[in-house]
Amino acid sequence: MDSDDDFLSDVSSAGDFLDTQNSDDESLGDDFGDDLDTGFSDDKDLIKQKRKPYEVEFKVLNPLDIQREQDVQVDDVSAILGLPPESAAILLRFGRWKQEKLIEGYMEHPEETLEDAGLGTNFEGLAKTEKVADFMCEICCEEGPDLETFAMRCGHRFCVDCYRHYLAQKIKEEGEAARIECPGDNCHRIVDSKSLELLLADNNALQERYRTLLTRTYVDDKDNLRWCPAPNCEYAVDCAVKARDLRRIVPTVNCICKHEFCFGCSLNDHQPTPCTLVKMWLKKCEDDSETANWISANTKECPRCMSTIEKNGGCNHMTCRKCKHEFCWMCMGLWSEHGTSWYNCNRYEEKSGSDARSAQAKSRASLERYLHYYNRYANHEQSAKLDKDLYLKTEKKMTSLQSQSGLSWIEVQFLDTASQALQQCRQTLKWTYAFAFYLARNNLTEIFEDNQKDLEMAVESLSEMFEKPVPELAKLKVDILDKTAYCNKRRVILLSDTAENLKNGEWAFNVEW
Amino acid sequence: MSLCLNRLQEERKQWRRDHPFGFVAKPQKTAQGTLDLKRWECAVPGKKDTLWDGGIFKLDVIFPDEYPTKPPKCKFTPPLFHPNVYPSGTVCLSILNEEEAWRPAITIKQILLGIQDLLNDPNPESPAQADAYNLFKKDRPAYERRVKQVVKENPPM
Repeated sequence: MDSDDDFLSDVSSAGDFLDTQNSDDESLGDDFGDDLDTGFSDDKDLIKQKRKPYEVEFKVLNPLDIQREQDVQVDDVSAILGLPPESAAILLRFGRWKQEKLIEGYMEHPEETLEDAGLGTNFEGLAKTEKVADFMCEICCEEGPDLETFAMRCGHRFCVDCYRHYLAQKIKEEGEAARIECPGDNCHRIVDSKSLELLLADNNALQERYRTLLTRTYVDDKDNLRWCPAPNCEYAVDCAVKARDLRRIVPTVNCICKHEFCFGCSLNDHQPTPCTLVKMWLKKCEDDSETANWISANTKECPRCMSTIEKNGGCNHMTCRKCKHEFCWMCMGLWSEHGTSWYNCNRYEEKSGSDARSAQAKSRASLERYLHYYNRYANHEQSAKLDKDLYLKTEKKMTSLQSQSGLSWIEVQFLDTASQALQQCRQTLKWTYAFAFYLARNNLTEIFEDNQKDLEMAVESLSEMFEKPVPELAKLKVDILDKTAYCNKRRVILLSDTAENLKNGEWAFNVEW
Repeated sequence: MSLCLNRLQEERKQWRRDHPFGFVAKPQKTAQGTLDLKRWECAVPGKKDTLWDGGIFKLDVIFPDEYPTKPPKCKFTPPLFHPNVYPSGTVCLSILNEEEAWRPAITIKQILLGIQDLLNDPNPESPAQADAYNLFKKDRPAYERRVKQVVKENPPM
């Protein structure tokens, strides 16, 4: 236990200034034994009470929750305004679920509001199909006293078959649900859920699809809801962060399906970099990275007009095609100063040459700077992928470790924890490089880079331990545990520091965003 | 499919019984000499007392199998100089767009009347050809001269 104790006190002091030392000891829990149980649960309470600076409050909703949320609001509005629930639902969808504004608007101009929402003011009568004398359906031109027909309260009557056909087309082909209008020409009355259920009584699949589409519009309409973007995930996240807050917060949320994504932009977790910078960075990488690499490796700029030149053969005597400047490819100096030493430049120290080279270096610097950050960004991305493979192998390793070392299942969980920490830290590190690319240098960036370096070194050494052959892993358990906790701690520190500065508007950037 | 043909039969009957003056709408003859109910040859006259008065503009109306669930495609032959007509001749009009104002109950008569309205009342919000749109926006007199020219080229039959 000695080494653990030492380690713990170490970490605490490192975390002291941020007041977060109680937050990340979960991975060590297994090691402490029973006597520490109470202390540990205290830790958990503390975590709940105090969110870290980079965390946001959010709630995950399952499809039932989402349905319930809608129902509650529909019932409220229905009771307040004395409208049937199916009409209240249409009204709410029309007003994008902004209840108060909607009720206010309704109180002031009830008839206009109902008309705009596609409801009309006539609420008499039940929705039912019937046979009508002297009727001809305007869609299929069928007629006859036996024809079953339907009309909403707008009175546009069509035969039930045509109505069904029309609804099926809207729901199945066009994916429309919230705004299906009456099939009558120029009628904007919305088909309500009650009429729809009556007409599609024998088509459960279509009704199911209709309800799914309605729920989809609900989540899309509400600013505080966002679908989890993971494939096949049915959950939505409820979070109060607004679009205008995104300059100061990077709202990473965690779905029940385990997918971690940004509530602001739905991309995978990209802390500590704000959404706008992430978009700029991704766009830049898409356009630039490979091209920039190639330019860096294969070209130089003309010392006079800075046009980029590729030397694809021939001698060192270059004549810029654009400005006709003549220079030496080797030393970048004036060709006229070369005298007779053609085709073999040994004049490295001449002034004109060194001037030209420093100008060249300057224009290269920005490219090199970008590549510096890009290569590290890409490296962590790549490593994170490899770590993922490793994570999949972890389980196999754990089983073999159990049989070889006699450790119980619970005792080999440390590998799982370590592997998860690795992935998370790499994800963070990756984005610190994109973030740093857009930072203007000052004292804060020094601290940031120190934090980045600490985390990076810790991650690399954990990664190395993690790759050791199985028999050695058991011996390394304490070291791996230490390193895992240390990595997590460093990540918390890095993210907390960055998030606090972002919230307070302390960072200086070298771009407008 | 039968819905489509039934409806078109009925449209044909109603048109023959009664249709607005100056308009033409009739199913095309196929190579075998039978009627092709899903391709109609139509013509829309310019409205009285407008720039377009005195011209008659031919168009093909092509009905999809899903008609009347989906709208027909209306195409001026030859393509017409007009801000809301694509270079191919296809008319851009809200009632001809299934995701906008198309309703299965809209009849051929309503479509053709709609197109007639569109002639003198273009919708600058959805330009379909650069030529007519730019003139319409930037040089109205030149636009009107072009329209008069077009009217002259499309005299009543």
